[in-house]
Amino acid sequence: MKCEEYQTLIEEYADGMLDERAADRVTSHIAACADCAYFYKELDREQELFSRYQRDVEVTPVIWASIESRIREERAKRPTGIVSRLREQLAGIFAAPRLSPAFAAVLVMIAIGLTVFVMSRLNSTQAPDQVATNNPSNPPGVSSSAPPKSPAPPQPEPKPEGIENTERKPRIVPPRKQPSNTALTPAQLVQEAEQKYLTAIAMLSRDMNKRRSQLDPMMLARFDASLAEIDRTIKETRQVVKGNPDDPIALQYLLAAYSKKVDVLREMTNNNNDTNN
Amino acid sequence: MIEAISLVGQSSGHAGTLMNSSEELIARARRGDDEAFRLIFDRYGRPIISFIYDMVGRRDLAEELTQETFVRAYKNLKALRDDTKLSTWLFGIAKNVARESLRYKHRETDKVGIDDDRVIEISDAKLPPDRELLDKELNGVIRDALGALDEDKRLVFTLKIFQQRSYEEIAEITGSSIPKLKTDLHRARAEMRRRIRPYLGAGYEV
Repeated sequence: MKCEEYQTLIEEYADGMLDERAADRVTSHIAACADCAYFYKELDREQELFSRYQRDVEVTPVIWASIESRIREERAKRPTGIVSRLREQLAGIFAAPRLSPAFAAVLVMIAIGLTVFVMSRLNSTQAPDQVATNNPSNPPGVSSSAPPKSPAPPQPEPKPEGIENTERKPRIVPPRKQPSNTALTPAQLVQEAEQKYLTAIAMLSRDMNKRRSQLDPMMLARFDASLAEIDRTIKETRQVVKGNPDDPIALQYLLAAYSKKVDVLREMTNNNNDTNN
Repeated sequence: MIEAISLVGQSSGHAGTLMNSSEELIARARRGDDEAFRLIFDRYGRPIISFIYDMVGRRDLAEELTQETFVRAYKNLKALRDDTKLSTWLFGIAKNVARESLRYKHRETDKVGIDDDRVIEISDAKLPPDRELLDKELNGVIRDALGALDEDKRLVFTLKIFQQRSYEEIAEITGSSIPKLKTDLHRARAEMRRRIRPYLGAGYEV
């Protein structure tokens, strides 16, 4: 080995980054080579000079005061309570697997699509009935009361119980929520989506279990860790949804967590296919 | 991992938290304990601001970017996966913040690249005997030499030489492979050596 090559090793030796065997080789060479011994000495002197470098900068109380102020602003913006906790947890999960840029892009797209879809459905089910029923000027497709999959046909006003058909006099009926058999509630919407996700998850899991032995063990461990974390989130989010079935954010996160699980399983399968090809 | 924290210049209110592991502080900060986050700042503020200053070369900017680093850390505390790597994680955020600043603000005019003629001049001149003056001059030379390194080399050099991070930690912070960072570090050292060589001579005892 030439002295030039030794110089790189001498630097690593000075950094304490060489194993015992390599360090022995370097010390033997330094003992036998005047140029490299000089280089090593110079490196030591450089380090000494650098250790005396003083910067024209200090950590002042003003810096912390600014940070503290910005943290307070940040906290004021955050939603409080369990929804916030779930949001942060989910954000962490999305950052967890770090699989591939393509996968990340797909996740983002799905998350956005899901959010738009669920929120639009939730908005439609939560929109005041008055607006939809009393405003015939709403052009088709603009009315927020019509769910996209099952448009509700005009329903006759149901008669209150106990009043026979014989009573034909016009009555003043106070505005009230019109029962709809076709518009899905948020809970029903989630149930429907949940069923679809569960079916997809079951299929993918079955497929994956058959191929587990062919997957790289380290990759498998990472996938399993991600899945375990997603399952935990699903469990916790479902509890929140159970207690608060109309909370749009909780519902949104539950669906996003299912979506995430589908994607991780899909990624596992794809990875397995790539390995085999 | 228990780390003692320096209480120099701090109020006595912190005395009860003399020994706090990073993990404990993170857990408390995640629960909304501002005092815990303050202790994290107390512990890592100085190395972070030094690192950023070495990267951007300006005090006011280093202060501003240090604030940004800790605010981002606060916002993303729950995304920190391995609590034992708080310091590496903070340096990673600081690196991103510094790089964004360098990339988008184009402070070319603020960079003080060292002039080779000046090196020759110093090397030819008789060094003043006063140690303090000499140190001051050396500080300027090191700062300018750092500013003249390209960004990747400056990053690796600063993390290794001034912050004493291991190669593995630097790889995590920078996202570079270890062979690449070794190459960058070797080249950065060579450039820095060339620029501070006058101070390595016999006239400047260390």
